[in-house]
Amino acid sequence: MNEDLFRVENLFISFGGLRAVDNVNFTVKKETIFSIIGPNGAGKTTIFNCINGLYNPDSGRVLFKGEDITGIKPHKVAMKGIARTFQNIELFSRMTTMENLMLGRHLHMKTGILSGATFFRRKSRAALEEIKHRERVEHIIDLLDLQYARNQFVGSLPYGTQKLIELGRALALEPELLLLDEPSAGMNTEEKQDLIFWIKDIQDELGVTILLIEHDMRMVMDISDRILAINFGKPIGEGAPEEIQNNPEVLQAYLGEDELTNAAS
Amino acid sequence: MFLQLIVSGISIGSIYALVALAMVIIYKTSEVPNFAQGEMAMLSTFVAFMLLASFGQPFVISFAGALVFAVVLGVFLEFVFLRRAKDPNVLSLILITLGFEMMIYGVASWKWGAEQQSFPFPVSDFDIVNLGPAVVSYLNIVTLLVTLFLMFILFLFFRYTKVGIAMKATQQNMLAARINGIRANRILSITWGMSSLIGAVAGMMLAPIATLDPNLMLDPLLKGFASAVLGGMTTLVGSALGGYILGIIETLFGGYISLQFKSIVAFLIIVLVLCFKPSGLFAKHYVRRV
Amino acid sequence: MKSAGPASVKAAMVLLFNERSAYRGEKNQDQEMDIKRDYYEDIQLLDSKVLWFWFLMLIAALITFPFVASNYYIYMANYMAINVLVTVGLNILVGYTGQISLGHAGFFAIGAFFTVLLMGKLSFPFLVALVISGILAALFGFILGLPALRLEGPYLAIATLGFGMAITQVIGRWELFGGRMGIQAPPLKLFGFYPITTDRGLYFIIVTITLLLTWAARNLMKTKIGRAFIAIRDSDIAAQTMGVNLTYYKTLAFAISAFYAGIAGGLMAFMLGFINPSSFNFILSIYFLAFVIVGGVGTIFGSIMGGMVMTWLILMLDKVQDLTYIGDILMTISERWMSVTGIHNVSSIILGLIIVLIVVFEPLGLYGFWIRTKIYWKAWPF
Repeated sequence: MNEDLFRVENLFISFGGLRAVDNVNFTVKKETIFSIIGPNGAGKTTIFNCINGLYNPDSGRVLFKGEDITGIKPHKVAMKGIARTFQNIELFSRMTTMENLMLGRHLHMKTGILSGATFFRRKSRAALEEIKHRERVEHIIDLLDLQYARNQFVGSLPYGTQKLIELGRALALEPELLLLDEPSAGMNTEEKQDLIFWIKDIQDELGVTILLIEHDMRMVMDISDRILAINFGKPIGEGAPEEIQNNPEVLQAYLGEDELTNAAS
Repeated sequence: MFLQLIVSGISIGSIYALVALAMVIIYKTSEVPNFAQGEMAMLSTFVAFMLLASFGQPFVISFAGALVFAVVLGVFLEFVFLRRAKDPNVLSLILITLGFEMMIYGVASWKWGAEQQSFPFPVSDFDIVNLGPAVVSYLNIVTLLVTLFLMFILFLFFRYTKVGIAMKATQQNMLAARINGIRANRILSITWGMSSLIGAVAGMMLAPIATLDPNLMLDPLLKGFASAVLGGMTTLVGSALGGYILGIIETLFGGYISLQFKSIVAFLIIVLVLCFKPSGLFAKHYVRRV
Repeated sequence: MKSAGPASVKAAMVLLFNERSAYRGEKNQDQEMDIKRDYYEDIQLLDSKVLWFWFLMLIAALITFPFVASNYYIYMANYMAINVLVTVGLNILVGYTGQISLGHAGFFAIGAFFTVLLMGKLSFPFLVALVISGILAALFGFILGLPALRLEGPYLAIATLGFGMAITQVIGRWELFGGRMGIQAPPLKLFGFYPITTDRGLYFIIVTITLLLTWAARNLMKTKIGRAFIAIRDSDIAAQTMGVNLTYYKTLAFAISAFYAGIAGGLMAFMLGFINPSSFNFILSIYFLAFVIVGGVGTIFGSIMGGMVMTWLILMLDKVQDLTYIGDILMTISERWMSVTGIHNVSSIILGLIIVLIVVFEPLGLYGFWIRTKIYWKAWPF
């Protein structure tokens, strides 16, 4: 439980002179929930993109289980066991929910061109594999209560549902580290409650470590083990939820005192 | 021989530069490569030919008539089809221009396809000037001058006229341009008209040195794209320079390495540039944000 | 969580990650309850007896067709099957993977010329030559796919255009390929001894290959590789972060698509009996794209419809002057304003117009139309 799983060291990246991420350091312990908070444009998503390999940081290192994964390609990052969701939904809009989740199983499937192209009966290799993985995906569908959307094209589903499907797709990868980029954005209170419950369960039951970007302070304070606050790409405070709530710099930069007392109560 | 190849390279490069300019004007405002560019130019050239040969008009009037036709054709295509696209993503728009390509090709082949014509041009390709060891024809000189003149006019247009600036604005952010009272649709129509006009000039400069038939612009279309890619699809000056560079490289390749495989130069340049410097030699790099 | 309580959630989660207990070890109750239906149905081609019946009827019809139809219609069927094959392949690239190719005539040419050459110069047996040519086309597709990795829409279109044009010009200037004059297809013998001399004989070869490859494409699109293609089309960013190797799958899509075009090209060489480079031009590449667009992007069934309908249309328009009424009108127009000899170019105009109209008004093509008609009639008369 106290083992370090993931670590970011001296991360820098700038876009045309703008320092989007400026010397960010943090360590995430195994099976904990670590949140990154900060105002819009503070560079939170950019950190995720660096971890994912979508951006190549100017300097600094990203370590996962002690291994340097800085600058490797996104699909290799996924192979290490890191999955993510996106702030602006990036689902495969012309696939059904089931197929979206099945894509999450991509790395666990072995069907090649020939076996994939030529299956003709239930016992064919590709068909067997397909059936097996569809069964597993069904569990995620059950878990996230997505049965009704199972065979619908995701492009036409409500926003909250799409967010959940993204979460499900990331889970289908069976990640060790899950990056959630504002998972509750656009959800109503009830959906948020469910989400908090699921995130806790993913952490507790499945032993997945979670790195979370979130604007909903109630949720962040409720579920996080540790929190990092950043502003203009710079870290301005790190600690347990209580520490962050009382950190004057964070209060000034981000929360505003009223909001904080609301959130804390 | 080297100098002579350079001279021929520059003169064919002028044509490529014009085609590239025509493409870039459209690409800049709507991010669509216009695959009908060549055929539009070809049809306009045929109109000039028709006015000259069938109606016996003097050259100036035929030339002007063809330019007017080119503008009308460009505006018409934009107004009647492109604007109505239900789902205007890049793929659909490219497909629409491909549809134009076929339609125009069909019309031209239907009317003129049977025989190859020669295009009467007042300046001859056979009157030559000696330039050291190389020879330059009057036609080459006229082509070069016309190209430079057009480039200069375009430069002034985009720099100093209201419409030119509005075009730039539309290209950078269509929504913001709309909010600021620019009629983006109208700007697009003008763009198509202008582009078509420049293409028509290219066609008419090329026709005297090639044979006039519906395939006239098929090859220059590719060369125009190669030039634009080489110079940078977003810069007018760069793409024109790209045209000259391509012209020179191509003739040198033909002269020294292999005349047979001269035609793959354009393709190789496209691939190499796109692999190593996708934004082209003279344009700033642009990164897509996630 | 509205319906399921925490207990069942936990059970589901344990099942999800604990493969051994749920799938290989002792069966527990949760698992049996969770399997509500047969997943094979999701990917099965014919999932009911009725469909099987129609499928067998179709096969029977395809077998009897060449014995009852006239030579012209057999020729048409061959032409259709070849175009369906190209369309299916191109759709994998354009419709499923979201890449564009304006150079498919190039792959088609590679398939055609190499099949003929391998048989003529190296006396390879037909099927071997065909497959090797297809693989060769795939290789070229793979190479063309490499720049595609870094290119988006417009640039890719330009690069593939350049490729297509370069291929035909190189072939046209190379003596090995018969140069500008073209090359004659050698006599065709199946399995080394069974000579195929008629369109009817060719029909069985072409239609069988088309059916098999179409079925393979459909299967492929239902499994892992197809899903990766679609994922790249819909969101390449998400696809990457879920572990899809963009390099591999994009080049693979090009290669598969080129393979189909290559095989189709090889068949085409024997259907025509004679090939010359000028027929594999840019316009042909646009035709292929038109088949995909008209049929409907991203659907195999649409590709079949698109390839067949458009082939029929092209063959009709080739003899446009023989059509009743329309032919006469067009002849009058030709005589008065255009030229009589160029009348067959009307087909270019009409096909161009069809592309434009489909893209503007019915982006899903015939398939979209089919779906809408089906829905309409299901609900009729309400």
